[in-house]
This record gives sequence, structure tokens and C-alpha cells, in this order.
Amino acid sequence: MNINVRILTKSVAQQYAFKRIVTFSTKPTQQAAAAAVPQQQEVTGPTVRKPIVPAHYRFVYPEFLPDPKVEWRNAVREKLERLDMIDRRRQIELPEFYVGSILAVTSSDPHAAGKTSRFVGICIHRERCGLRARFILRNVIDHQGIEVVYELYDPTIQKVEVLRLEKRLDDSLFYLRDALPEFSTFDENMEAEPLEEGAPVPINDIKVVLRPRPWLERWERQNLLGVANIEQYIKDKHRKSAEKVQKPWEKYDLMKQYRATIPEEEQKEIFAEVHTELHTLELQRKRNKRKRTFVKPKHLA
Amino acid sequence: MNQADVSKLMSQLRIAVRPTKRNLKNPDGPEGRLLKLRKTVTALVKHERIELYYNRADEARGYAELLISNAIRHGDRHKATMELADYWLLEKQLVHKLFKVLVPRYENSNVSYTRMFKAPRDYPGMYYRKSVLELRGNPYPVLTPDNSQNRNLLHNVLLDEARKEFRREKLANLANKLAAETENATASTTATPAQAPVTETQTEQSKQAEEAPKA
Amino acid sequence: MLRTVLSDLARLRLNGSVCSVTQVREKGHLNRPRLRNPYWFIRQQRSQTDDQVTGENRSFIKEVIHDTYGTPALIKGVQTYEQKQLIKTNELPVPTEPWTPAVRRCGVIARKIGQYPLWLKNGERIRTTLLQVVDNHVIKYIPPEEYKPTQRPNVHNLNRYGCVLVGAESTNPAQLTKEYCGIFRDSGVMPTKNLARFIVSPQAALAPGTPLNVGHFRVGEFVDVRGKTVYHGFQGVVKRHGFKGMPASHGVTKTHRRPGNIGGGGEKGRVWPGTKLPGHMGNRWRISKGLRIWRINTKYNVMWVQGSAVPGSTNGLVYIYDTILPLRKPQAALPMPTLYEQPEDEAPDDIWYEQVHNFKDESITYKPE
Repeated sequence: MNINVRILTKSVAQQYAFKRIVTFSTKPTQQAAAAAVPQQQEVTGPTVRKPIVPAHYRFVYPEFLPDPKVEWRNAVREKLERLDMIDRRRQIELPEFYVGSILAVTSSDPHAAGKTSRFVGICIHRERCGLRARFILRNVIDHQGIEVVYELYDPTIQKVEVLRLEKRLDDSLFYLRDALPEFSTFDENMEAEPLEEGAPVPINDIKVVLRPRPWLERWERQNLLGVANIEQYIKDKHRKSAEKVQKPWEKYDLMKQYRATIPEEEQKEIFAEVHTELHTLELQRKRNKRKRTFVKPKHLA
Repeated sequence: MNQADVSKLMSQLRIAVRPTKRNLKNPDGPEGRLLKLRKTVTALVKHERIELYYNRADEARGYAELLISNAIRHGDRHKATMELADYWLLEKQLVHKLFKVLVPRYENSNVSYTRMFKAPRDYPGMYYRKSVLELRGNPYPVLTPDNSQNRNLLHNVLLDEARKEFRREKLANLANKLAAETENATASTTATPAQAPVTETQTEQSKQAEEAPKA
Repeated sequence: MLRTVLSDLARLRLNGSVCSVTQVREKGHLNRPRLRNPYWFIRQQRSQTDDQVTGENRSFIKEVIHDTYGTPALIKGVQTYEQKQLIKTNELPVPTEPWTPAVRRCGVIARKIGQYPLWLKNGERIRTTLLQVVDNHVIKYIPPEEYKPTQRPNVHNLNRYGCVLVGAESTNPAQLTKEYCGIFRDSGVMPTKNLARFIVSPQAALAPGTPLNVGHFRVGEFVDVRGKTVYHGFQGVVKRHGFKGMPASHGVTKTHRRPGNIGGGGEKGRVWPGTKLPGHMGNRWRISKGLRIWRINTKYNVMWVQGSAVPGSTNGLVYIYDTILPLRKPQAALPMPTLYEQPEDEAPDDIWYEQVHNFKDESITYKPE
């Protein structure tokens, strides 16, 4: 039996041993030549799956996109940051909101009477990404304009309610500081105005009325859409200087835009990672909301 | 910056992008820079291969790539893209070339649309680095002959031999292993009944050895 | 004692029989090399030209590399190779020497990967920097008797300490020089991109091939982090030293960002040493000392340390040591010589310091008095 096996292995070895024939040629071997040909003819037809991540996620969760500055990016850091954000979101409902929405934020405050404080106001600005994401709420209380900066992922925040979900015409509403106070006055006991499910976020095209100069910023230079009476207060010299600082070529500066954005492929990757979590949280929230309305009907109370 | 701009959506470039732009010395400032680059992008689309200074080529390359990728992405029915093409291509017949020639050419490609080579510069002369910028799939002969298929180069000959040797050794090892395994298998089947009493006696002996010091 | 005396005598006799004259040549001391770099300071990268190797041969080279060192793998968030030749950690002998405050342990090589805030349980926000320990392996231990560097590091009683050579981030050896790869031959570690030496006590010696992980440090303890600061080039006094400058208007001419007066005349009519003036800013080795570790992630080998001003740029290399600050020395024993991670251990991914708020916990509330 042993002998049989040995003979068999020997024959196998002989069969597979390379023959020592050395041939030199300048022609590429067949495999190498095949590898060298660029494979551009890959037809990606019906196999391409539809993206699972909804397209509006980048507006709803902008803080999940990292800072586009290349020098500061790191895949591991971004991933850990996203995990922490998701962990925090599991504990607290951080709803969808935009600049122009009216929010009520309840947060722990060691100096407040009941150790919590609630502030209602309009979101005038949203900035920064990751765990640093923050927003500014503004309201006028006792004829005094008040602004509070909240960090979205600050664990001292107990509750974030969206009282009115809407957008404004501009990306940031700092001009409310120079507008008449009624435009940034909101009732503290305002009731939440629920939006129909699946309806698009309405855009409030209200035009605010500015106070006369002096202003905090030169609003005439910023091409604001939500201001009614800017022409009333500016003179020719303002108009001229505003024209001088305009940069009409920037809409053609593709590389500038590219460096300020996260490319679509990367966005897909990022949101594919967090999508399932966010989606389950959304569903949970909806379920809870329905339950709450059923348990405590507002009109009967 | 601190937050990504979400109002625009762009495809990822297949080239290495510098973190910051070059200013390209210009009395007209940033606008003049774009006007300058416009000429380069137009020339690239027109001639498909151009020789110019490295910095300017590197800057223009990104714009050309993005212009083509936007054209592929949105097609010629998209107003903003058409405006872009109108701005970047000074000769208007090239707009047709962009949408009718370049878009079909690069639609299914998964590499960059342009290539850049470092070019030699004459000495003595201007000290700026020079380069050649070209569109892929252009009709001109290739600039750098591909020598990677040349098996006559000395290191390739040596590596070929080493490879054969490596394969042969591996196969021999495999065959040896196979032989050893089968041998073991046959040995174990024949030897197990004979070995059993031996192991028993050994254990007995060891037991005795253990007991001896106790006594 | 007697034996040593005898052996000394024997040696004397032996020397006497051969040749007892030691040659003294003039000026010999001038030719002596004053500054000799450690042996691992060799050229690392091979010349980066196109090799024109055929595709077959290229894949063959890759195969040989994978055959000797293992296939590429993503280990703890770092792209590296599964190193087959290495000694497994569970085969290593368990060290018996206990940790004492006088022991100098080995440090690790890390990358600064960014910074983000954490919150304490009292609601306070702290800024932290994330340092990732990148694929560290011990390459060599040089005992105190053999460690005689020509450029002596500034360490008290250096003759009592040995030196551990640590490498980080395995790389393709085909891109490296033969001499550089030779450093790694005896250890069985794959050639690495980065090397660093750490001065250690002989009790804290490590066997070649030992992986160093973030478990080497404990949450709540303090570390010193050494890195090369970001280079700013030639800068004026406002940016470099934080001078105020002078007003933009109100009759100020030509001196808006200048240093102003730098001294008096007479006896002191010169620029005093150490005067803050314009010059090169950054690009220097700096150690920030006594940074508390707030949190550790063992899955990605990341530690969160206090502060956002750790020297170095994001994605830059830093070196982490146990702190030398006497009041921040660890109270409890640290793992000696390092923590040997067992594969069957099921440690939690995230280890939080007791004062830090875990994001998985509920929101912070204050109790009414």
C-alpha cells in the first residue's frame, strides 16, 4: 500500500512539475496582456441596486457629514464620532429642524429654580459638525432680545421639541438682531403645530422689516432674500461698495465648491453606515408619538 | 469651514486634489485666476493634449474633470450645467464636443478623465516646472511607452526564474506532505493493535515509579 | 571574589605574553567620530522609480510577501498585515516583577487623529484629543550594559536603563531598502514605516515581537505626549508670541503689527538673549505633560486625552509616555511590562473614566437641594 502511494505522489509531482524550457520574448504573456487592457466595457445595467439611503438625509442630518477640510479628516475619528452621536440619539429625541424653525429646548441648569430651564425661540443659525454641532435660538423676552447657543449633543439637554417646522429664505437669520422685535418674538407657551406626515417642509417667505442704521452687519452686502426694506436705509455709496464686494464668479468656481462639500460617494458611505439606526429611531419616535396622543388626548383634558 | 456645504452634490474626483488652491499670480485677483484657467480648460478640450506650466495645469485639471463629471451627471438638458459649460468653454462649438463626444467617451469609465505628465524643461531657461495635460482616449500616440510587458529586462528574467523555483518548491513540499500523511494513516491503521499493550505497560511502569518515592 | 582576582591575573599574564603595548597615536582623538547616529537611522525608502516589472512578476512578489508575513488585514482600524511569524502573546512568559513608581515603562507610537468634546458627569464640557496607537510591535530590547548612545538622551542615571526599539505601521518591504529591512530580521516583525526608541528600566524589558496596544495605559492616569508642532514658517510677533500690536488708526503709522521697543541703551545697549522677536514658528519637538486619559477604545486602539493642544498636526505621529510629573504619577499598579491581550478576553470596547458621561447613559440632571 505504501509503495502504491509513493508511486502515485511521484507521478503527481512529475505531472505538475514545470518543464525547464526557457523562452525569452518581448511579447507579453497572454495573462499579462489581458490584465493590461483597461476594462472599460463593464456594463453595469440591471445589477445596480437603488440607494437605500433617502436623498434628503444630508439636509436632515447635516452634522453627520464631516468637516470637508482634508487636513483634518480621519476615517477612524469620524467613525467613532458617529457612533457616539448615534448613542446619544438613542437616549434623546433630536428631531429634524432647520434654520427658521421654532424650537423649545429643555435643559438641566444648576442655577435655575427647578434645576431645569426651557427656552422657546427661533433657530437663527446652525453650524459645526459631529459632536460639536450647535444651533442658536433667539427670542424677545420682556422687550429684551435673548439668544442661547445650544450644543445638539450636550447631555445636559433633556428635550428638544419642534414647535413649528419650517424653513426661511436665507441660510442664517442673523439679521433678526437688527429687525423689529416682533419678528423674533415668540410665545413661551406656544403649542406645537404638527405637520402632516410625508408633507414637504414649508418655506416661510416672510420678509422682516429692519430697524434703521446703525446695524450690526452690512446686510446690504449679503444678498438677503428675507428682508423687506433694505433699500430704504442704504445710500448710493453703500450700493456701490456692496457691488464691489460681490463675487459673481464663485458660482463657476467648481473646485471651490468641491472643496467645501463631501462628494456624493462618500456621503452615501457615511449615511449607509448610520441609516438603519437612524431609521429605526425615527420609526420608534413615530410610534411613541402616536401612543402619546392616544393616551392623553389634548382636547378632552 | 467646520460644516460641509449640503446645498450642492458633486461626484468624487478620481485624481489627487490639493487641499488648497494655488493663486496663480494674477492682477485681477480670484476672478482673473478663473479667467486664466478658462483658457487652459478650453484648450484642453479643443486639442486634447497640451503642454504648459505644471501649476497651471494642475489647477486646470480639477476644473476640467469636474466639468466633464457634471456633464455626465446632469446631461445637456440641465440649465446650470449648460451655464457652466458656457462659462468654461470659450469656443462655443466645444460645448457640443463636451456633450456629444466626451460624455459618451467617459460615461462608463472608472478612472480619471485626464492624465498629467511631468515634462522636461529646457536649460537654461524659465525655471518653472512643465507638464503635459491630456484627455484620456485622445487620438495621439502615447507619451510613455509601456515597458511593463518587457520580459527581457534583467530583473524580469531573474524574477521569472525565482518564480518557477518558488512554485517547484511549494509543489514538492505539498507532495511530501501528502506522502507523509498517507504513510502515517497506513502506519496507524496497522500499528494500533500492536501499540496498545505497550502503552498499558508504560502506564503501569510510570505508576510504579510514582509510588516508589512515596513508599 | 577570589575567582575574579584569579581570572584577572590570568588575563594579565595572557596579555603580557602576546603584546602589552597599547599604541597611542597623535591626534587620534580628533578623528574620533563625535556624533554617531543609532544603527537604525538608515535610509528607509528605496528610489521610487517605475520598475517595469511584468504583471506576473509583480503578483509573484506580492505572493512571496504574503507567504512570509501574511495577507493584508485591517487590525484595530489600521491597515496592516496579519503577521504570521510573530510570537503569540499567550506564549509569552508572564513577568513577575511588580510595578513600582520608580520603573520606567515603554511608551507607544500613536497618531493624532483629531479632537472632539466629551462631557463630564457634572455637565462640564471638556475638549479631548484622540490618539490612535497604530500597530505597534517591539523590535528589539537593548539591555543597560549594551545601551551606550553617543548622543545621550537627557535622562538621569542613564546607565541604569535599557532601550526598547518599537516599530509602528507595517508596510510593504518591497518599497524599503535592504539595510532597513535588516533591522527587523531577528524580531520576526514585518518592516514598519516608523521607529522609535524608549528608555526603559530592565524590569520593564519587552520581548521582540510583543504587540503594544492602548491597554498599556489605564483610564484616569496621566501621560506625556511628544510631537512635532505644526510649522508656520517665519512669523511676526503677533502670531508667534501673541503680542497685541498697535491700533489700526488714531494716528498710528507703519507700526500696526511690530514688536515696538526691545530694550534700553547704555550698559544694556544690545538685544538681550531670549527677547521675543519675529522668527520661525513651530516645527519643534514639544512635550505636553500630564494629560489625563478620559476614555479608551480597545477596538480601535484609541485614547481620548485632555486638551485640544497636543503638539502635531492631525494624522501626525506622536509618542506617548507615562508622565514624569511627580504629583501625577499613577496610584495603582500599571500593567507590567505591558498588557498582554488574550484573544479570548472579552473586554468592553469603550472604557470610560468614572467622571466622564457615557453617551449611552441618560441625560444629565441636577438634584434639587
